[in-house]
Amino acid sequence: MQNKCNIAMQSHSIYKVPDGKLLKITLEYDEEKNLINNLKITGDFFAYPEEAIELIENKLKNSLLKRDELIEKINLIIKNNQIEFIGLNAEGLADGILMCLK
Amino acid sequence: MNEEWRLLITEDISAYKNMAMDRAELVSISKGNAPPTVRFFSWKPRAISIGYFQSLKEEVNLEACRNLGVDYVRRITGGGAVFHDKELTYSIVIPESHNQIPKNIMESYGRICGAIIKGLNHLGIKSSYVPINDIISSGKKISGNAQTRKAKTVLQHGTILMDVDVEEMFSLLIVPNEKIKDKLISDVKERVTSVKDILGKNISFSDVANAMKKGFEEEFDVNLSKGALTDEEKDLTEKFENEFFSTKMWNHRR
Repeated sequence: MQNKCNIAMQSHSIYKVPDGKLLKITLEYDEEKNLINNLKITGDFFAYPEEAIELIENKLKNSLLKRDELIEKINLIIKNNQIEFIGLNAEGLADGILMCLK
Repeated sequence: MNEEWRLLITEDISAYKNMAMDRAELVSISKGNAPPTVRFFSWKPRAISIGYFQSLKEEVNLEACRNLGVDYVRRITGGGAVFHDKELTYSIVIPESHNQIPKNIMESYGRICGAIIKGLNHLGIKSSYVPINDIISSGKKISGNAQTRKAKTVLQHGTILMDVDVEEMFSLLIVPNEKIKDKLISDVKERVTSVKDILGKNISFSDVANAMKKGFEEEFDVNLSKGALTDEEKDLTEKFENEFFSTKMWNHRR
């Protein structure tokens, strides 16, 4: 989907997290501003509590698509909401998101 | 005297009911209305279950499922897609505070998988736990497991493969790249095994269930005593089946 006014792009990635599980990302982003518009995180990883994944998807909206900033933001969400990932981590999630840009 | 846990055996029930029953037990046990419970079950019709975080459309060939009469359901646990065919599926529901359950999630996977390993040993199969959530025998996967924790209660369910048809499994799952499908099938055949593969003969569901019962009793030093769902659990099972697990809203939500 491409819109000339907003330069909204949609992309998909499949990323095997090192020592972890398979992560699949669907990303809608603003190419000009380098911002996340919408994000869907799917895959065969584990997260406790499970509902946290929707919280992460929401809180990452309007985030800058830069690795260090994404990792910092994801780690903060994990800490503030006592989320535990198994087979996934903040670095893996950030890398999966950024792979959509390649 | 050993602590008494409840054993449920529910063969040949639907995917929706199976997942609803696990969740109903989780609710009642979290309220202290039933003892820790181990359930052995099978699926009829055969079904695919997908992990909580998976996309149904990305993982499951819905048309092939319809053609082959295979149901599909989203689990409340994470993990991957599983084709439930010739297998024994187990679930255990137990308070997080129980002294037999490690607080650490990975350690508790290992502990519960220990019961499956002891059960397989009773069938003459040597196996071991491989984190995150597999049990392997002779280097090949024979059991996959998935755990959730809700309302201070642990639910872990998993499969013990009794026989496996990798070709049929891949006709039901979406393969990202059709060109490598044959290679994927041969890879999975190399990586997956079953009770029948290892022992060279068919073993009945009840024989596997008896072995697993002993495995749980030994691992947790308890007696498993055959019981039934409480009235509350029966009502909750029906509610969860109708309102969640059989609905498009739940199964297609991701």
